[in-house]
Amino acid sequence: MVSQFSGVLQLTDLDDFITPSQECVKPVKVEKKQGRSVAKIQIEDDGSYFQVKQDGGKQKLEKAKITLNDCLACSGCITSAESVLITQQSHEEIYRVLRSNKQAGVAEQKVVVVSVSPQSRASLAARYGLSSSEAGRRLTAFFKGLGVHHVFDTSFSRTFSLLESQKEFVERFHRKEQDKQALPMLASACPGNQLTSETRAQFHKGLNPQQIYHVTVMPCYDKKLEASRPDFYLEEADTREVDCVITSGEVLKMLEEEKVLLSDVEPAPLDTMFSSVCGDELLGHAGSGSGGYLHHVFTHAARQLFGEEVKELTYKTLKNKDFQEVTLERDGVVVLRFATTYGFRNIQNLVQKLKRGKSPYHFVEVMACPSGCLNGGGQVKPLPEQNNKELLQQVEDLYKEERPLVPEEDQHVAELYQSWLQSVGEERARELLHTQYHAVDKATNGLLVKW
Amino acid sequence: MKDTLALLQKFNAHPDSRCWYVAWNPKGTLLASCGGDRAIRIWGREGDSWECKTVLQDGHQRAVRKVAWSPCGNYLASASFDATTCIWKKKNDDFECLTVLEGHENEVKCAAWAPSGNLLATCSRDKSVWIWEVDEEDEYECVSVVNSHTQDAKHVVWHPTQELLASCSYDNNVCVYKEEDDDWECRATLEGHTSTVWGLTFDPSGQRLASCSDDRTVKIWKECQPGGGQGTDTAWKCVCTLSGFHGRTVYDIAWCPLTGALATACGDDGVRVFKEDETADPDQPVFSLSAHVPKAHSQDVNCIAWNPKEAGLLVSRSDNGEIAVWNYQSEV
Repeated sequence: MVSQFSGVLQLTDLDDFITPSQECVKPVKVEKKQGRSVAKIQIEDDGSYFQVKQDGGKQKLEKAKITLNDCLACSGCITSAESVLITQQSHEEIYRVLRSNKQAGVAEQKVVVVSVSPQSRASLAARYGLSSSEAGRRLTAFFKGLGVHHVFDTSFSRTFSLLESQKEFVERFHRKEQDKQALPMLASACPGNQLTSETRAQFHKGLNPQQIYHVTVMPCYDKKLEASRPDFYLEEADTREVDCVITSGEVLKMLEEEKVLLSDVEPAPLDTMFSSVCGDELLGHAGSGSGGYLHHVFTHAARQLFGEEVKELTYKTLKNKDFQEVTLERDGVVVLRFATTYGFRNIQNLVQKLKRGKSPYHFVEVMACPSGCLNGGGQVKPLPEQNNKELLQQVEDLYKEERPLVPEEDQHVAELYQSWLQSVGEERARELLHTQYHAVDKATNGLLVKW
Repeated sequence: MKDTLALLQKFNAHPDSRCWYVAWNPKGTLLASCGGDRAIRIWGREGDSWECKTVLQDGHQRAVRKVAWSPCGNYLASASFDATTCIWKKKNDDFECLTVLEGHENEVKCAAWAPSGNLLATCSRDKSVWIWEVDEEDEYECVSVVNSHTQDAKHVVWHPTQELLASCSYDNNVCVYKEEDDDWECRATLEGHTSTVWGLTFDPSGQRLASCSDDRTVKIWKECQPGGGQGTDTAWKCVCTLSGFHGRTVYDIAWCPLTGALATACGDDGVRVFKEDETADPDQPVFSLSAHVPKAHSQDVNCIAWNPKEAGLLVSRSDNGEIAVWNYQSEV
């Protein structure tokens, strides 16, 4: 049984073998009361628990509840079955929302938005023998036919991410003498939230964010867990930035369930509000199939810090093809050293080097999946007669066919930045565009040890 | 015509705690033992008895499950329940901790060196098998992480001469790995045991693999080319099963590189040695019980190892911390 999650994102110490003594170790917050520790617990006929105090008074005890989010941070037990975690976010869930939308009154209807990642588009395009933009147009038609209101492309939001990454790197580079921890900077797009926050905020001004049901189509399953992170929960709006993440493979399932061949669907015009579009072509970004972070941060840094215009990057393959290096030299001295590190084993080595302070890199584009996002766990699988490597090459070629847009030259994004920044202020914008990582405490429990 | 297994000496290796494993160094002059007291002890022969030469402490925070000597005899790898593998380098008569390999999610169950000495394999309860590479500066880097087992991986062993790796697991299977492009892949899954496979050993030529299991049997596997001799994928077939000999779980198995005798360590406290019938068809080998000591120890015997240089010298280790040294004599 092969895990659909990438090897890097693993729920640790998981075991489907539940021994009688093994219980959920998730601690429930309990109000600690002063006083004598002795109390009796009584179970009523209906299964509810009552605490009987010494004076005879009964107090109903709350049932401990475990949510998906609780599980994510814990080394698990009962809900270790992946199916439980994944079914909460699946294409069936989307159908359910679309169905209830059809039946709901105008006031309760949700505005359903689907954002498609270029990697998922390329994957589906490869399956149906279409170009990436053709696939995009047909997906637009397909989703709208099901009741979706808008179909966008995540390259648009990725532009924001690239711009912010570029800025942040230059900032860190300037700080590196004073702040030893400023570098190396790691690309955090995997699974990095692709800035869907602004979609909600800006979208249909006047619309309550809760009325928006945002679906994203991603090349991996890890994104599902990521969308559930508490950091991506908008407190004020009491809603999540992304409600549901489905994979390219799941879109394929939807097409198959509707008995539709994507190549037969009549193309629809592309929605432009939150997409990078030129006519009927979708635009992409230069660089790797995982977002091109190294490419953009490198070219920007070379220009800003050293006044060099880098037209083409030369990637040097190190230990294996998932570990590549790019350097900028000035008078024979290496002034910038960047790397792409894909896959678990390379990440392990990177982490070990970082722990010992022996990493020579200024910036690393880190991705969990070998060969990057185009080879994500949620991408369309090869047909029986297809070879894995050949399919991946096909998907890569289709992905690269999209004309690249230089983030700094994107008018649409610039306009949005300005108007939105003005409306929310720089502090707030920074808050909304950036997220934080939290160290997860590993709980060691003697009961979980197996010999 | 009687084959004998005579006890030479018994001593307590790790007082007050369990001794988990014992390994001969390549020269056959030293024994390394490790245990629940988180220490590794190096034993050397002084006349007729074995003396503890060094104690390696403070390398691990939890029990040390297995130790392995590098082919050159200058390094020791210790696999621990604290999820790390420690590499020790020999310095005169002592060992110093060179580096600590981290990465496994939980208890590391085994560490083994490839015959070249450049690669190290580790396996863990996290079901994965890791292959590490060591460079000239004694720096270790992870080359591959393979997740072929669906349960706790118990043991890893390298082919005596080639870069071929085998692992066994609580999932009842044995996996065989080879390097493909720049990554290691599972090339064959050997199914047949009906319970946890605890130990593995290659025969001196590397053509056959023996596995021992909780299902109380020992299986001999042979690599065979599929019809037409094409392709790179080979299949491993079970050519012999030794059943009915062991009363309980067989915890360890060792194939003598000098004599070809097969020794087993059993949960019924016994030590057994099997001999191969020379006249049998190589594709259908026959093994017979050559020697058996029913109460070799007062508790489960969980480790057995042949001295690589001295024919017939065998060491066994038990749950109660005892190490026994035996002499196996075979009348041909």
